[in-house]
Amino acid sequence: MFDLDKASASYNGRVVLRDISLTVRPGERVALVGESGAGKSTLLNLLYQQHQARAALIPQDPALVWTLSVFHNVYIGSLHRHKSLYNLLNLVRPRAREVERVRPVLRRLGLEDKIFTPAGELSGGQRQRTAVGRALYQGRDVLLGDEPVSAVDVHQARAVLTAINEAHDTVILAMHDVDLALAFTDRVIGLKGGHIALDQPTSGLKPSDLDSLYTN
Amino acid sequence: MERSGAFKTSLAFIGVAIVCLLIADIEISTLDPWREMGRMALGVVTPNFLAVGQLGEALAKTVAFAFLGVALGVVVGFASALLFHFGPVRWLSAFVRAIHELFWALIFLQIFGLTPLTGILAIAIPYGGIFAKVYSEILEEADPRPLAAVPHGASPAAAFFYARLPDAWVHIKSYTLYRLECGLRSSAILGFVGLPTLGFYLESAFRQGHYSEVSALLILFYVLIASLRLWVKARLVPLYLLAAPFFLGPGAEISLANITRFFTQDIVPHPIRAAETLDFAALGAWADWMWQIFTTQALWGIAATLILTQIALVASGALALVFFPLISRRFFGRFGRTLGHGFLVVTRSTPEYILAYLFLQFWGPSMLPAIVALALHNGAVIGHLIGRHVDEIPLRPDAPKGLNLYAYEVLPRVYGQFLAFLFYRWEVILRETAILGILGILTLGFYVDSAIADIRMDRAVFLIIITAFLNIGVDALSRAIRAKIRLTTTPERT
Amino acid sequence: MSRKLGLGLLFLLIFAGNAVAKDFVFTAIPDEDETRLAQRFDKVAAYLAKELGVPVRYIPVKSYAAAVTAFRNNQVQLAWFGGLSGVRARRLVPGSKALAQGQEDRFFTTFFIAHASTGLKPGEAFPEKIAGLTFTFGSKGSTSGRLMPEFHIRKWFSKAPSEVFSRVGFSGNHSRTIALVQSGAYLVGAVNFKVWENEMKAGRIDPDKVRVVWKTPPYPDYHWTIRGDADRAFGAGFSARVKRALLGIKDPALLASFPRKSFVAAKNSDYEPILKVGKSIGLID
Repeated sequence: MFDLDKASASYNGRVVLRDISLTVRPGERVALVGESGAGKSTLLNLLYQQHQARAALIPQDPALVWTLSVFHNVYIGSLHRHKSLYNLLNLVRPRAREVERVRPVLRRLGLEDKIFTPAGELSGGQRQRTAVGRALYQGRDVLLGDEPVSAVDVHQARAVLTAINEAHDTVILAMHDVDLALAFTDRVIGLKGGHIALDQPTSGLKPSDLDSLYTN
Repeated sequence: MERSGAFKTSLAFIGVAIVCLLIADIEISTLDPWREMGRMALGVVTPNFLAVGQLGEALAKTVAFAFLGVALGVVVGFASALLFHFGPVRWLSAFVRAIHELFWALIFLQIFGLTPLTGILAIAIPYGGIFAKVYSEILEEADPRPLAAVPHGASPAAAFFYARLPDAWVHIKSYTLYRLECGLRSSAILGFVGLPTLGFYLESAFRQGHYSEVSALLILFYVLIASLRLWVKARLVPLYLLAAPFFLGPGAEISLANITRFFTQDIVPHPIRAAETLDFAALGAWADWMWQIFTTQALWGIAATLILTQIALVASGALALVFFPLISRRFFGRFGRTLGHGFLVVTRSTPEYILAYLFLQFWGPSMLPAIVALALHNGAVIGHLIGRHVDEIPLRPDAPKGLNLYAYEVLPRVYGQFLAFLFYRWEVILRETAILGILGILTLGFYVDSAIADIRMDRAVFLIIITAFLNIGVDALSRAIRAKIRLTTTPERT
Repeated sequence: MSRKLGLGLLFLLIFAGNAVAKDFVFTAIPDEDETRLAQRFDKVAAYLAKELGVPVRYIPVKSYAAAVTAFRNNQVQLAWFGGLSGVRARRLVPGSKALAQGQEDRFFTTFFIAHASTGLKPGEAFPEKIAGLTFTFGSKGSTSGRLMPEFHIRKWFSKAPSEVFSRVGFSGNHSRTIALVQSGAYLVGAVNFKVWENEMKAGRIDPDKVRVVWKTPPYPDYHWTIRGDADRAFGAGFSARVKRALLGIKDPALLASFPRKSFVAAKNSDYEPILKVGKSIGLID
């Protein structure tokens, strides 16, 4: 479903990706790994451009609206499913029905007690989980995540990744934690210096196999 | 980098002001101010609240006009802010806000007479133009990232209300409240031209030299302004708006004939009106008429207006830097701050016209009373805004105190902000120079006022248009300078 | 928020359409103490209501121009104008008529007053030594505080006031002119003689500080003017009845509040001289 053929991309005038050829089929769970600056975010955005209407995106920055509650921030994920007027009413006064729909998502992410807390008052990990909740609530079948668990502890990270995997057919995650990458995906793409240095199924890979991506 | 830009700009403005001071019309010529001053001082210490007959009514009307005018301005301004990327909307909003609310009132007096509509529109129209500009800037500066995270397929309206507006909301609210304070001042001042607000009685009492009455009215007004944050609550606003129309007093008949006459006769230039046919001779006479007014009034008016504005601008800035620590908890204890707040409320709420008259008694007629009056008023406004901002700056626990704190920690941090406020205030000062005709300073406003006094609306409108373009020019210059030295703006602009 | 504001807008429309009953309304130029104006004209309103048998109201205005505008817009049907404002009003409202003037108004005069430090002495001749000093008029639209003094200044010096004096101001009204000259803020000023006499009586003038240095030749000033369509609005012969009522004011207290000895008939042509002067110094097109 995702196809790149000798794609290149630059960021701020600097070429970040060159000659990337890549195919991702429906149902795959892919980890993008590599040093920071290797081009993971750029590649993720490039893929997102291909299927904006089908894919939910978790950006690296949580991109929350600080003055709105966790509920509203998660509800933003469903704006495309409702009429504007309904959205407006729900902004002024949350509908009970919508609150009950959002609640299980937050429960799963361990945020249920924060449902009406303004996003600006959350800790870094809570903000990240709220951004994940917003993506989950979009109800898409594809999810693209840019370091979705970088700010939460290992225990929560597993819960979050499990939730992501359960809710989506196809998942592409940029990650820096190699252990988690191997545990939650079935294909690893390693980026180094703007091109693909490694593309293998997860099964049989050991963390040390990826060391070469992180050394000069 | 940024500091040096701000520094050079400041120096340049100070340089311009000094040159202006050299050519400005300044002298000190009074002989016996003490008799009148003594009467004023006596008035200040013996405020007489009973002397003003309809005090409560005037107060209620002042608030009612302010609320309805500002509210209508908010609606118009917000709608325009959303369309601000269209050139015509931007130009129209620049034009309407370039005209002082007193002039709007004088124009609407011609059309609607002394009706509530005159007062409301005189506030709503210029405020709408200001809201349009500031709201659009606030929205522009809102965090853009949430908008990118909105799912594909959401309607632009939904995306705006969820991902754009909430981040800007707090600033919009605080700016609107600030503007409401300005609206109360404007509403009071509209009394000077006959609307039944506080200014009506203030001007009467003042011009008759009933200073006990004047001080009672001013005290009442200060209390109204100082307590604004106590009685204006978001929840109560709809209630106030609902109640406001009932306090405006009787509406008068609005005559279509008067409205038509204003547009088809009053503001049609005299040579055109007098001509039987619209031929070349008439057009020539019209051109001659414009040239006459331009060379004998407008050019001199522009020169005097700009000289006065540049000096008053720098003087306002200097005073603001002295004033702002007065209300900051970094510099003063609770008692000191209360005094500071009181001082700033008094200085920024006393109409410049009255301040100017006070100084006229001391120094005689020249630009001097005008400069001091404008500088005190605007210095207090900017000082108030900066002072509130200072308290929000996080400082390290071992920061120095007093003058060292001011010079090393606070001033460098707020200087950019300060300049931004001052530049916003630039066009305001320009507009305010209009109402100082009593000093015998021939600003553009003086000529506009003369044209209206002569019931020559054609001249008045021509001069007002020139004034508006001067304002738009200064506004554009201020924007260019702000962009050049990259001044970040924040919610509360003046 | 916009929902709340929408309501405000709605109310705006409601009260805009909310007209009041048709009273006979009049105003007066604000030439002096407004408290006194209100007392004086409320008495006049009560008197006229009794004489005319219709509800009569006085509304105060803030400037000469506002009085003319209100008259022109038919917000008032009758007004106590000065010479200049009356001429202006009648030019703007065709058919309007001057009805009555105070006896003194036929021979009104302006006092030139000067601060004692100028050393100027009262005299019959125009005080030409005022050239080069600072000078304040009263209101820009005033006959006695602006039109006539400017006329005599131009006549004597053949120059505009701004070229004669080192500075020219407009104090706003006569009482203010006296206060400004008394404090020396302006050294010379022009003031309505009636207001000067009133202030003198009230003890607000210090003769050691400010004195009269010249009196202008007499000219016609204050008078009542009625709109030409008043008969149509209030019934045939209404203007004539108003005129009779005004001429019939005999109550000494009422007359003293103006202050005038009595009211006499006036007609539009009485003010021809004012129109000429107004045109000659460019205040009327």
